[in-house]
Amino acid sequence: MDDTTKIKQFIVEEFMPDVPVEDLDSDYDLLTGGVVDSLGLLKVVAWLETEFDIGVDDSELGPESFRTVDAINEFVQKARATSNAD
Amino acid sequence: MTSSLADGFTEHARSRPAAPALIWQAEAISYGELDEMRTSAGADLARLDLPLDRPVGIRAKKSPEAIALVLACLTARRPFLLPSIELASDTLEALFAQAGASRVLTPDLQPDGSVGVQAAEVADDGVCEWPPASTDVSFMLTTSGSTGLPKIVPLAPGAVEHFIAWAAERFDIRPGATVANYAPLNFDLCLLDIWTTLTCGGCVALVDQDRATNGGYLAALLADHEVNVVQAVPMLYRLLIDVAREDGRTFPDVRHVLTTGDKMPASTLQELPGLFPNARFYNIYGCTETNDSLMHELLLNDGEVPANIPIGQPLPDVDARIQTEDGEVVEGDGVGELLVWTPFQTQGYLKSALNDGKFATYPNAAGDDRRYFRTGDIVRRHEDGSITLEGRSDFYVKVRGARVSTQVVEQAIQEHPDVIEVAVVAVPDELAGARLHALVRREPDSKLNSLSLRKHCTSRLARTEMPSSIEIETDPLPKTSTGKIDRKRCLPREQGAQANG
Repeated sequence: MDDTTKIKQFIVEEFMPDVPVEDLDSDYDLLTGGVVDSLGLLKVVAWLETEFDIGVDDSELGPESFRTVDAINEFVQKARATSNAD
Repeated sequence: MTSSLADGFTEHARSRPAAPALIWQAEAISYGELDEMRTSAGADLARLDLPLDRPVGIRAKKSPEAIALVLACLTARRPFLLPSIELASDTLEALFAQAGASRVLTPDLQPDGSVGVQAAEVADDGVCEWPPASTDVSFMLTTSGSTGLPKIVPLAPGAVEHFIAWAAERFDIRPGATVANYAPLNFDLCLLDIWTTLTCGGCVALVDQDRATNGGYLAALLADHEVNVVQAVPMLYRLLIDVAREDGRTFPDVRHVLTTGDKMPASTLQELPGLFPNARFYNIYGCTETNDSLMHELLLNDGEVPANIPIGQPLPDVDARIQTEDGEVVEGDGVGELLVWTPFQTQGYLKSALNDGKFATYPNAAGDDRRYFRTGDIVRRHEDGSITLEGRSDFYVKVRGARVSTQVVEQAIQEHPDVIEVAVVAVPDELAGARLHALVRREPDSKLNSLSLRKHCTSRLARTEMPSSIEIETDPLPKTSTGKIDRKRCLPREQGAQANG
């Protein structure tokens, strides 16, 4: 399973269990849609840290990185690249 | 020209004793028979020899004998408190004590058809607020207060008569007319359904409270007894629509359809002309304190199904005032709290300390001082003068510092064609102050889910108005005994015990 699908699956299970995973477009605005709020954001970050074994610095925790599934995926890839470079 | 309720009833019992007064459990009770029930209840009441300067309490479920007992009290000019029997017994005790009731009366139907009166003592440990400033009182109703003890609302006989005169003329209530009564006996709506009808010689088709959610029973009552006037909360219409969907029936005898008490969903509204092909439709706005205050006639047959139905224009002789939080009058279009003065209204709560902040005197448009009632409803007056409801001032909650009306959110969700009904409740939240939870009932054959509903809401709602959680079901939402959505029972399950909505 690719990372985008994993992220989608987590978002659906956690925030909208009544929705089929395939209904969630990777460019859907999760923040404007109210799917993920500030509390939800913390849950997403905690999951990302465990699932992808990446460290998330609180200071870079802007909501923009979590607006869509695509944005979250991009964030994960970047974080991975950074930790590999270390 | 107004006539007193008891006199009007007596006149019809004398001149047309065989005419039907009530339909109860598919049987007609004539004016003559109901008059005999009233007389027997009155005789039993007189035997109790209760002090004349004190009210009585009536603890009774809707029934012909309960109606006879109310008529007996009206005839004897005895004020009476008629609370909901659904209230907890401690609450009822406290209300009867506050009203200064000498006894609590319950009607007792005898095998020979006469009505006896059982009288219970009132606990005297409560605080008695009787008498009010004006003791010219007939009915004492209670508000459906969501917190604390319900407030007792005394009504003067003149106020009731004034209302009856308006309602009878407006909805053609006279001999030969049949009016359905859906509301429980303690409701202000009964002033129209039951008490106007009995004053004016019409027939009341009584809905049995125990079968108020049985669509088949309700449809049969309306059809079999050729009901002409229906006044009810939207739930009744929803139940009838569901029945009609099965058997294709219509109600051609109904001339006036009144909806009140709750916001009518557009999905229900658009099916009404098919259900009632010969009716006129009205949205009525009122409070227990003021009785009916504003009315809007819906021209549904012309295809008008507005998303937000206006509450209409003030009734004749009614004054409406819209004011901002600072008490500034809103002229023209704008938003503010609605204050009304009606000729039907109470002089104030029985417990006069409760009047502070709820009643306020201002001059009306003609310069006459009026004692306005603050409804607590936030309304918008549009450029064309129509008034729509924005929400209850007490439905406003703070979400992340922003003032949000849960009713605005409900309205937006309700606009989705697959939504039958919705309740949005505020759940206390340590971080946000409150977060919103939406409980939605969708059409059974729709695929509506929380994501498609969010997409629908995105263009309609501010970010702070977007519910944090959405639960979608096909089961009807929890309702109170009066058919309104019971928002306390719409909280997410894990929150039900601790949150107070």
